[in-house]
Amino acid sequence: MIDDGARAVARRLTLQYLGASTAILAVSGLLGVVLRWSQAVPQARVGDNFWYAMMTAHGLGAFVGWAGFAVMGLSWWVLAGVGFPTRGFGLVMARASWWLMVLGVAGVVVTTLLMGFGASWVFLYPLPFFGSGEWGAWATGFFSFSVLLAGLSIVTWCFGILHTVANREALHAVSTNVFRRLGVSLGWGYLMPRTFATNPKPVPYAVIPLAVIGIDMIIATLPLAGLLVWQILESAGWVGSADILLAKNILWWFGHPVVYLLLFPAVAAYYWLIPRYAGRELVAGHVIAIAWTVAVIANVLVWAHHIYLDYPDGTLQAQINTAMQPMTFSLVLPSALSLYSLGFTIYRSRFRWTPASTALFFGLVGWLLAGLSGVVNATIALDVAVHNTLWIVGHFHHMAMLNIGLLIFGATYALLPELTGKALYSERMAWVHVWTTFVVGMLVFGLWLVQGLDGAPRRWSVLPSSYDTITRISLPLVFVLAAAQALFFWNVLQTVRGKAGVATFDERGIPEPAKGGRGWSAPAAEGGLVLAAVGLALAFAAAGYLVGRETGGGGGTVTQPTETSGSATGDAARGKELFASSGCGACHTLADAGAAGQVGPSLDGNARLTEALIVARVTNGQGAMPAFGDRLSEEDIQDVAAYVLQASK
Amino acid sequence: MSQTAIIITVAYAIAVVIGSAIAIAIWRSTKRPLDEDRAGTWSRRESAWLIVVVLALFALLLGTIFYVPYGESAGANKQVVRVTGVQYAWAVDAPAGIRAGTPVEFLITSTDVNHGFGLYTAGGGKLLRQIQVVPGRTQTLVHTFTKAGTYEVLCLEFCGAKHHEMVATFEVKPA
Repeated sequence: MIDDGARAVARRLTLQYLGASTAILAVSGLLGVVLRWSQAVPQARVGDNFWYAMMTAHGLGAFVGWAGFAVMGLSWWVLAGVGFPTRGFGLVMARASWWLMVLGVAGVVVTTLLMGFGASWVFLYPLPFFGSGEWGAWATGFFSFSVLLAGLSIVTWCFGILHTVANREALHAVSTNVFRRLGVSLGWGYLMPRTFATNPKPVPYAVIPLAVIGIDMIIATLPLAGLLVWQILESAGWVGSADILLAKNILWWFGHPVVYLLLFPAVAAYYWLIPRYAGRELVAGHVIAIAWTVAVIANVLVWAHHIYLDYPDGTLQAQINTAMQPMTFSLVLPSALSLYSLGFTIYRSRFRWTPASTALFFGLVGWLLAGLSGVVNATIALDVAVHNTLWIVGHFHHMAMLNIGLLIFGATYALLPELTGKALYSERMAWVHVWTTFVVGMLVFGLWLVQGLDGAPRRWSVLPSSYDTITRISLPLVFVLAAAQALFFWNVLQTVRGKAGVATFDERGIPEPAKGGRGWSAPAAEGGLVLAAVGLALAFAAAGYLVGRETGGGGGTVTQPTETSGSATGDAARGKELFASSGCGACHTLADAGAAGQVGPSLDGNARLTEALIVARVTNGQGAMPAFGDRLSEEDIQDVAAYVLQASK
Repeated sequence: MSQTAIIITVAYAIAVVIGSAIAIAIWRSTKRPLDEDRAGTWSRRESAWLIVVVLALFALLLGTIFYVPYGESAGANKQVVRVTGVQYAWAVDAPAGIRAGTPVEFLITSTDVNHGFGLYTAGGGKLLRQIQVVPGRTQTLVHTFTKAGTYEVLCLEFCGAKHHEMVATFEVKPA
């Protein structure tokens, strides 16, 4: 076991990470509520680009800034718990990682919510440079820089983890060779006890997933960092365009493993905490080391399952995609074996059911649900039916909130007393939070699966009206889910403030309910209700503000008094903006607008053009030309016609 | 719902029911704890579980690999339809119209950002087919319409502020 000084270092690190990530959860969770609200209630609809900017912030914030950052932080305490102190170089990396992540997330919030960057968290190249006038090169450059900081946070964390897990004393490893010690950390001592010798026994199971992800995220993040640097340079005008298909592959080269940046440290925490509550050691065979060895290789060779439906003519993408289906299947193995091990660790044990251990157990169920829908996504022939539908959104919310999220909640309830020395404020409040999150979360995310199977497209600020019913059913559930999280924040806050006194632990190290039994006592109930009410009021206020902002700014659905009503022709200056924002230039050539499209007829010097013809074609379309009558107003189309007539002469 | 979506619904529902039953069984098992230590037996059986999982995945692979949509051919008697995606519109170019019953070869490209070509029956209908659209490259999707009527193209790859307005309709005539 490690000494008190090293434990104090790890304790401080974990509390810092958990503190920052919990604050990020509050912000990004609220954004999530507003997103669904805006979809469900026309009166609460926010501006389209603002919706997508919020979606960008919610995605990066909740996935990386909350779930990823929280399990990254828990890892320091898990490692300390199994005898691995963080020190020296590893400690420097751990501290640098915290700062990089906090600054990166702050940058993402500023560039999305304030500068309007709304290209989604995947910022699918070259979309960051096609902002339709909603955001410019500055926003793209700053956003790319912010994500780069978050990426560097992940890389520095990996170095800190690898330094910690390769600790020679903690491993009891015979070898002085650092690579051989990493082999020990990967569990190879279970398979080849002579080569990867340790004394007295192989590495603790919780170390293995951390060693795996520590290696993989370095490999996964560096190419993305290259793409981000390219985007920064391109936004400054110093380099030209990058290859689009290559950029897509690089994005997913990172985009898949980053999911396991959440899962693998979470597995380490499960491996460490479930046995404590079960009162027996983890049930695991040597075969589990094989699965993790498969994982370390397969994790960085499965990215193309995110682009199964990209197979342009004359490229190798179809072959790459096909090869990656069995690779992706092989990633089922560490999950299937871990669930087996954890399941049998609990099975017929003297399991102590507390809010913490119940959250962990529900987390395992969430892992199973997310894994099963993931197998569907991993199968090309099935993916065609659900790709980029709300099914995917349901899948990764099961993963992020009901697996990783519940693990974070459970670990927080289990570990906060030993991290702070203070008893959990209210056991009852934690029960309500855990059950509500699981049950209501299942419903909210399950409804996405249903909508997705029905073909509902993903990342649509306004869904086709045929999906309205289910969207509206889910809205109150979203509110309940959010209100339940308010109980969590209140409980943690009151615990940290020491409201329930000093923590005590039973013989297994499980925190005991606070003395005096502050269950559903009056202060706790009142506090929770007050906080829930305040949270709801804030949410209403925020939505009201957003609606007001959009309509008041003239950019929303309120039509301004027609200034041009006296004139028969439209406003050419406005028409020029509409010409650009409606994408006319992609198909038509018009020198005045800088447009050189080759799909439709050129407009420059086109003698056939009359105002009536332009209005008719734009309104109703013809042949390949789409009809714009349903998305531009009559006045808009008049303006476009006036502009095209004037500019084409 | 498309046929594939129905298959997914049924398979996922069955898997969830079995998974829930196992979870409830594990939960209830802690009410009658074992005193003897069977960890050794369970650990050894983990290898058997590994084999079960590998075989199941292998079966899924073999059962679905022939339905992968890559490299489809429309044959000689095809109708060619050129589709161009731009922010935020689809240009569906079918000078001779589209008829049901004869394979249609959609040649799809984009002039600006990535889009997703999602082919739906009209009016909140079902998702028939989809394919990603990469700027500057051509993607080929082959589909034979079995029924005449109105069809919709929805954008299925996020492409900017009016992504959700990127919808086009076209008619398919009887065979």
